[in-house]
Amino acid sequence: MTTAIEEDRLSETFAALANSTRRAILARLAEGAATVNELAEPFEMKLPAISKHIKVLERAGLVVRGQRAQYRPCALDAAPLEEVSTWAEQYRPVWEARFDRMDDYLTHLRPQTKDRRTR
Amino acid sequence: MTDDNASQDAVVIERSFDAPVDVIWQMWTDPEHFKAWYGPDGATIPVAKMDVRVGGTRLVCMEMQTPNGAMQMWFTGEYREVVENERLVYTESMSDENGNVSSPSDLDMPEGHPTTTEVRVELADVGGRTKMVMTHAGVPSDSPGATGWAMAFQKLAALVDARTDR
Repeated sequence: MTTAIEEDRLSETFAALANSTRRAILARLAEGAATVNELAEPFEMKLPAISKHIKVLERAGLVVRGQRAQYRPCALDAAPLEEVSTWAEQYRPVWEARFDRMDDYLTHLRPQTKDRRTR
Repeated sequence: MTDDNASQDAVVIERSFDAPVDVIWQMWTDPEHFKAWYGPDGATIPVAKMDVRVGGTRLVCMEMQTPNGAMQMWFTGEYREVVENERLVYTESMSDENGNVSSPSDLDMPEGHPTTTEVRVELADVGGRTKMVMTHAGVPSDSPGATGWAMAFQKLAALVDARTDR
């Protein structure tokens, strides 16, 4: 099971991804870094609105912004996405343990005769 | 665009059991058997109600002992596919003891966080033994923000793959 902090981070990633504009921004950044102006181009949205979306993505750790250049280009950081894609993996050890128990239980249920034959 | 079951968010486990398919089927569909193996370590299953037919509901209670006393977690769901000794598909969501599904906000999660999962169990007879494939996947919830999940995962999964291949 994940810790509370990891769960919080994951929730933040999910919240950031639960918006089509933000997903489109990430898809664009997957092709390479871009300035806010470039990111705003395909959308019928004012720059401040786009900036707001980028801030949400930044907070979720999905976007990092350059410090040096005047335009502070945005770049994708895929690390949180990997956590999302392994979200279900937290269930794996739980299921494995369950099936181990199912195996034990089946051995227990098996008629004595069959049990002796194999041992 | 491919439409291959979008979500990367699935656990697939394949196991082989030294028991015939009908016995493994009972492990999943007979509450008494189910209670014997389902609870995670340290947990018991005091309640398992199963109306095993398509559209039938299930309600399972998991009880854990904590320093503050017993803690109960309830799960509800619906059977989607029931093909005896072959295939069982049901959904699962956190709920209260009456089977009312908890919303993401009840669970302190943002809207759109997947809270419903689907469990798919496929059984095959292999010379008297049973091969079982269990798939546990997140499914988009009904909230509008969540309809994009399948798509989001599809696109972003490709992207993650590209990144991790570096």
